Amino acid sequence: MMPLNFAILKLFTNGKEACPEDVIEALRPEYGHFKALNKADVLTALMTAESNGLLEESRFELDENGEVRVFFRAGAEAIATINKYIR
Amino acid sequence: MAQTSGAPNQSAAAAKKRLAEGFRRRGIITAIMSGVTYGNYTAFMTLAMSVGIWTTWYGDNSGFTPFAVAFMLSALGAALTDTFSAVWALLIAAWKGKLGDFYRSFKTKPGAILACAALIGGPFASTAYVIGLQQAGSIVVPISALCPAIGAILARILFKQALTARMLLGIAICFGASALIGMSSMGGTEAHPNMMIGLLFGFGAALGWGIEGCVGGYASSMIDPEVSIAIREVTNGLSNLIIMVPVLGMIGGADGFQVIGQALADTESLKFFVVGGFACYWGFMLWYKGNAMCGAALGMACNGMFSFWGPFFCWIWIGLVFGIEGWDMPLIAWIAAILMVVGIFTIATNPLAFFMKKKEG
Repeated sequence: MMPLNFAILKLFTNGKEACPEDVIEALRPEYGHFKALNKADVLTALMTAESNGLLEESRFELDENGEVRVFFRAGAEAIATINKYIR
Repeated sequence: MAQTSGAPNQSAAAAKKRLAEGFRRRGIITAIMSGVTYGNYTAFMTLAMSVGIWTTWYGDNSGFTPFAVAFMLSALGAALTDTFSAVWALLIAAWKGKLGDFYRSFKTKPGAILACAALIGGPFASTAYVIGLQQAGSIVVPISALCPAIGAILARILFKQALTARMLLGIAICFGASALIGMSSMGGTEAHPNMMIGLLFGFGAALGWGIEGCVGGYASSMIDPEVSIAIREVTNGLSNLIIMVPVLGMIGGADGFQVIGQALADTESLKFFVVGGFACYWGFMLWYKGNAMCGAALGMACNGMFSFWGPFFCWIWIGLVFGIEGWDMPLIAWIAAILMVVGIFTIATNPLAFFMKKKEG
């Protein structure tokens, strides 16, 4: 088992886009008991990774509650960086 | 599902803009608060080192050599604060259910890099700073204030973070303000025989802090900042307490372990180290988090206001609350604080664009 933030980043090395809800859903089986696996904390982790060039925004939309839902993805260079640091 | 950025409507775009602005605002507040808490950490560590057994150690009949007083006691003060900070970090990590991630992260590549950065910015930079002060005097204070500039340049080279001419101007303004406080509080630039060696050590300290700021910030985009700081404080607390203090004690002709034992038995000073450790935890955790959220240039400049918050909280806590004389705030510190805000503002936003927007609004 790897640290939660590593698992979040590792999820994006498949090249596909994901929003915080997708991340939570994908990691729930293994990390469901982690207090930090919630929408606010995961969004902060994703936006922090974006600030450091590890992720980029792919698109955004309004969800059924009228809140913005941002999708992120990792480019080829970022995937190589993530794989270099997180094995 | 509705609007996408491929075909955005106004409300989605506005909500996205609010989210991005809110994140940036939180990053800046986090980085500024790191300086505020760092100021409190400085004040409580200084207070702890002014009472109890420390008054004897810093007195005329301490029995220590001048080297032991200058280096071993400084390292001991930092070691105790870092150790209590490590205890706080582990307690908070446990409370938030992150203790498992602390053990798991320690064994990874980013965890190892973070521990190395903590050693460079902790024991090595702090010792270099003290040696620099001893050898070259107060000129080392503004030299060490170069750390935000070094951090920003390193972040540009290592992590390809943005660094424009405007940001460099803002960093230069912050550096000038820190230099003003440093020079005024330590009595100007007097002549010292080993000036060049002292300057080199001062620059080494700035380099160490710059490396830690940019590497710690980047690592905190991979490791949770609350886990990052537990790694930092455990590494620094143990290395200071088990290696630095005994080694500096041995060089200075003192028994480091015995001195550590005496310090731990002194309840009068220990309670202030416990509080200082709590402020230290927040100071560094918010520093890493702020640097990760808004980049090393802006994050380290906001944190750099600690050169104002340090004297400010020493004045509040030591001078006003505990009534110890000699801790007044010089006028120049207030002027420097305004300059720092101007510098941070210059890094964070283009003043021309800001005023144009105001005018349009």
